[in-house]
Amino acid sequence: MEEENNLLDAKKQNILENSKKSILANKISVKKNDKFYALLFLGPSLLLLILFIFYPMLKTIYLSLFLTNGNGQNTVFVGLENYVSLLTSSTYLASLGSTFVYVIGVSVLTIFLGLLLASTASKNVRGSVFFRTIFSSTMGVSISVSAIFWLFIFNPSIGILNQVAAFFHLPILNWSTDPNLAMISVIISTVWMNLGFAFLVLFSAFESLPLSLYEETAIEGVGPVYRFMHVTIPLISPTLFFVSIITLIESFKSFGLIDLMTAGGPNNATNMLVYQIYQNAFLNGNYSQASAESVILTIIIAILTFIQFKYLEKKVSY
Amino acid sequence: MKNQKRVIYNLIIVLTVAFLSLLPVSLLGNKQASAADNSKRIKIVFWHEMTGPAQTQLNEFVKQFNKSQSKYQVVSQFEGTYEEAVQKILNTHESNTSPAVFQSADISVSQLYHSGYITKVQKFIDKDKSFNVNDISSVARAFYSQKGELLGMPFNTSQPVLYYNASLLKKYNITPPPMNPSYSDITRVAKQLYQRSNKKVKGMTMEVYGWLFDQLIANSGNYSVNNQNGRLATPTKASFINSGSLKAMEWIQENVKSGDFINYGSGTNASANEMAAFLSGKLGIFMESSADIGQLTLGMKNQKLGVTYYPHADGQKANGVAIGGAALWISNDKSSEVQQGAWNFIKYLESAKNQATWQKATGYLALNKNSKKTKTLKNLYKKNPALKVPSEQLAKTVPNNSNSGIFVEGIVQERIILNTALDQIYNGSNIKSSLTQAEEAMNSYIKNNNRANGWRY
Amino acid sequence: MENLNQWTGSKKTWHYLLLIILSLLILGPFIIGLWTSLLPTADISSGKLFIDNISLDNYWAALTQTPIIRYLFNSLFISILTMICQVFFCSLAAYAFVFIDFKYRNFYFYLVLSTMMLPFEAEVIPNFQTIKSLGLLNSYLGMVIPFMTSAFGIFMLRQSFMQMPYELKEAADVEGLSHWQFYLKGALPYSKLSIYTLAAYSFLSAWNQYLWPLLTTFSDDYRPVQVGLRELQSQETFNNWGMIQASAAIIVIPTLIVLYFGQHYFKSGLNEGAVK
Repeated sequence: MEEENNLLDAKKQNILENSKKSILANKISVKKNDKFYALLFLGPSLLLLILFIFYPMLKTIYLSLFLTNGNGQNTVFVGLENYVSLLTSSTYLASLGSTFVYVIGVSVLTIFLGLLLASTASKNVRGSVFFRTIFSSTMGVSISVSAIFWLFIFNPSIGILNQVAAFFHLPILNWSTDPNLAMISVIISTVWMNLGFAFLVLFSAFESLPLSLYEETAIEGVGPVYRFMHVTIPLISPTLFFVSIITLIESFKSFGLIDLMTAGGPNNATNMLVYQIYQNAFLNGNYSQASAESVILTIIIAILTFIQFKYLEKKVSY
Repeated sequence: MKNQKRVIYNLIIVLTVAFLSLLPVSLLGNKQASAADNSKRIKIVFWHEMTGPAQTQLNEFVKQFNKSQSKYQVVSQFEGTYEEAVQKILNTHESNTSPAVFQSADISVSQLYHSGYITKVQKFIDKDKSFNVNDISSVARAFYSQKGELLGMPFNTSQPVLYYNASLLKKYNITPPPMNPSYSDITRVAKQLYQRSNKKVKGMTMEVYGWLFDQLIANSGNYSVNNQNGRLATPTKASFINSGSLKAMEWIQENVKSGDFINYGSGTNASANEMAAFLSGKLGIFMESSADIGQLTLGMKNQKLGVTYYPHADGQKANGVAIGGAALWISNDKSSEVQQGAWNFIKYLESAKNQATWQKATGYLALNKNSKKTKTLKNLYKKNPALKVPSEQLAKTVPNNSNSGIFVEGIVQERIILNTALDQIYNGSNIKSSLTQAEEAMNSYIKNNNRANGWRY
Repeated sequence: MENLNQWTGSKKTWHYLLLIILSLLILGPFIIGLWTSLLPTADISSGKLFIDNISLDNYWAALTQTPIIRYLFNSLFISILTMICQVFFCSLAAYAFVFIDFKYRNFYFYLVLSTMMLPFEAEVIPNFQTIKSLGLLNSYLGMVIPFMTSAFGIFMLRQSFMQMPYELKEAADVEGLSHWQFYLKGALPYSKLSIYTLAAYSFLSAWNQYLWPLLTTFSDDYRPVQVGLRELQSQETFNNWGMIQASAAIIVIPTLIVLYFGQHYFKSGLNEGAVK
């Protein structure tokens, strides 16, 4: 889901950029008394958004102020107690911490490898189209498939990594029980899944770079590393920014891979925000606490999305 | 532009073809399932959480039951783990998708009792003269009873036991552990195995699984929560720190440190990895539910399986362990006709013959006292006496409040909390402080739960 | 001259080497997964990964012993339905924002926009209740209805409609076309490409839904492939790795083929609205 959502967001970004411009310019004359058509055309979407996005948000906030009994009914009003107990709970703070580690790890690696893939593939050599197809291939992989591929690779007893390690007499690593290794294994799987998308977006940016710039700098005798850092990166920085923020947002919402690969373990090392919501609500029946967690997650995502909007506004307004 | 169009049309064609080609296959699958029902039959939706050979056998029972009569049509649906299923059952109650009869585990007894969503099976037992409830193991019945009334019918019942690879022990010339082993008996075998195999075979593992921890406490005669595991009154506090749990955790931690115990972590993957390692001869001993016997005997084609009672601390008598597994429950959101059909299905599963078949196929213990007399079980025990061990352990147990399960809501939460603590302990943390953390987490859960339910806290 | 040639030659070699190493890293999990799907599980479990004992047995087992075909069908059905609904409702709403004048139009527009800030993952508890009270648990509709529209889709199509030449609408008004007629004959055909793009993306995101189907499906009759694979994996306590890998391959191969043929299209969809 992540990388396709990413793609969606990529599109979103481009459109955001454009629409801001045309929104003011476009003043199409319209028929009067279009109320009926407005209702007919906009009504369904608005109704759906209200029913499945606005109402549940308010309901979630409401639920977070109560305690729930075994049947999931909210019974005792407790105000902000759920939030207080969450923010003082070492488990939840640890979960926040591991989410940040995961998000940062995934974003940094995705960007770094995405850049490496895109810059390597952007040189026109024979067969580069073939390699580009390979580099974007993980876009066709869904969460469950990715999880199964990587679960086998990391399997401590029969997995390929440990078999190779055993063959070369390297230490056998316990990928599923060591908290740090489990985190690394989840990060690697996520990055792999994200790479297809990151490559595609960054590659488009590379493709649109003016060739003349390269020629100029080549004549000036500038080294490739210097050129990359001081010419290429600034030129593609809008794309870079946007790939980063979308990867950030999507990583915060990660659920499927964690559910399939580690179920939040070992020792809660990979128990991230959305998994925690799922665990509390749909395994423990603790809806009030899960609601409080949902509100905190929403705040984080809203801030990040807001930054994204703001940045675009700035970029377009000059 | 033109090219794009072609791509789009191709995509549309591919999708349509895929859709149309899958359509008949999936409809066919559906038809096969409903071929038997003559549309007049009353549909009984049955939710279960059985996997592997147990699932195969259970589906076989469903098929046979549907064939044996023409009034009801039982439809079985798999719902994941016990933990997932409890919430699914509570969440779907009074919706069009909720089950008429469902399998729910030991962890959910208190929760289902308080939910008000079930019809007690006692109601049907009282009415049904053809069913003699005394045929069913009293220890198992006690577990699922409250105030003398049977809430759900015990179905798949297991005992935690200890498995060892007898062939492997023989290969390295190691004396097997006694039938009722102490911790040091197990340590000895594990250490010998680890050393004599040149560290190629790990001695033992105990999965990070709160249930196994609770059973170690039960076997020491202590309680996991106060008010004698909630049997005397609504529990208000967890009591994970006691002489029994401390001894057990010290035992495991020491041996993990010295390398002869291995830690496979927690969750489905952990138990799968543990099983894979045991079957491939990379692990000598592990503790798990007796329900694994079915899979183990299937998987250990050329190797001999050894089974002993659940281990106990040195210099102490074993108090006995609680049963594991699950019971069958009837929801009260269906018509009385449907509920009657659900009861008939339960009755069918509890027959001496079917319980014997069940034990043979799965390793869960036959609960019908008459199952012993069946040829199925007689032959089974003759062929492999080790399979008798769990039943013997169950028979020897004198039930008390310590070994009859924990009557508290939120055992799912308790197990998650305990898993965290066990994980920490296995990784070398201070035992007392990890268990204290777990107690605190559970206490605040119990307190809030009691508050939300309007109980004393 | 000779020197220079040599230098570029070796540079080229290094470049290819880098390309190949990166390709292997990306393809590694595919190759391992596909290879093991051809091996007997017993050999996988005992670590014999490099044998010539390959067969399609696992694929046959997956197809006959598991409901994977049913899962695939469910996923396809849900994705197609979601796709159709999203295109329909999003285009209607987008049309309203561009061609219909009504009070507080901008307010409504920003209201729609703001839904992008609220993650669906944080709203599953009330949404579960809503779907339950609609009687749609464990049904196709229950998995489609919450995703029948999207702020992003409305946004994208609104943008596309805005780029329509003003004269087109004017001509339509002169001809006396109603909104419906102009929507069908003018707006939709003009924005074909954006519609296709939205269709593709809504299909893919529906195909990759995970959390919501996990919560709302209770039988194999409705489980889509993502959740179905999870069920298969948890039922295989024996860890029949061969069959599991085969199931994963059965699911991934079609999407890879679609991706391969559609990659230009995905890319152009990405670039279509880009400012360059």
